[in-house]
Amino acid sequence: MTLTCQDLLQHLSAYLDNELDAELTAAAEAHLATCPNCRIVLSSTQHTLTLYRRHYRRHLAPDTRQKLHAQLLELLSDER
Amino acid sequence: MQSDELARALQAGDETAFTAVFNAHADKIYRLARGLLTDEGQAECVVQDTFMRLLTKPHLFDGRADISTWLYRVAYNLSMDMLRRGQKTVAWDGETASLPEPLVLFDWRQLPEASLATADLHEQLDTAVSNLPDKLRAVFILREIEELSIAECAAVLDISPSAVKVRLHRARLQLRETLSAYLAETHSPVRQPS
Repeated sequence: MTLTCQDLLQHLSAYLDNELDAELTAAAEAHLATCPNCRIVLSSTQHTLTLYRRHYRRHLAPDTRQKLHAQLLELLSDER
Repeated sequence: MQSDELARALQAGDETAFTAVFNAHADKIYRLARGLLTDEGQAECVVQDTFMRLLTKPHLFDGRADISTWLYRVAYNLSMDMLRRGQKTVAWDGETASLPEPLVLFDWRQLPEASLATADLHEQLDTAVSNLPDKLRAVFILREIEELSIAECAAVLDISPSAVKVRLHRARLQLRETLSAYLAETHSPVRQPS
């Protein structure tokens, strides 16, 4: 089985997530070995995901969190 | 605590059970809402309204779903309602459209690590996510940031696992394109005037 660049693009996420079967994985790797453009697309997609996983985790500000919790507990006590 | 036990405790107004749920899930709900709405104040409202729903209508959480899935689903629906009210939804019906060809082929591997940790780039991460259509944004946040499984994403969004995979794939490619364009622009050699 041989893959074109369009085929590789179609299967890129499944390849990254190790969800391709053995035959498709081998075909994707064979294509990547000979296609510098697809190697760039693959590595830049991996880098994109790494950046998000590393830098996009937000948290409630501690005072906001405390205020929200207190308001909700007050509501809970009103509900009872 | 099992889901059905937790449901009974919450329905009985158990403050300890409620606080444990709040402590375990408030940040997760905030991240989803903040990612969908981009506005911090609105995201805080969604956190409050999500937990208020649990307090004022505890019977709606009957323990059949995991509490985390239930809370994400409520927060997602509240966020989407808010977006619709503000007419800020970015529609997307590209489920079956062919994938756009990658336009920017910039090799990030040549960049020093420090250039991927700048405040400007972090701002770009925000902008790129906020420019995704809502349906893609929701899947991306749940799967990549919150690390839910494909099945859990499908349960929260009430879509099929294959639809989750399609949307995730599109979101990843769009974000790759946006960030590659930004990095290519900011790291291209300075042109000397002729």
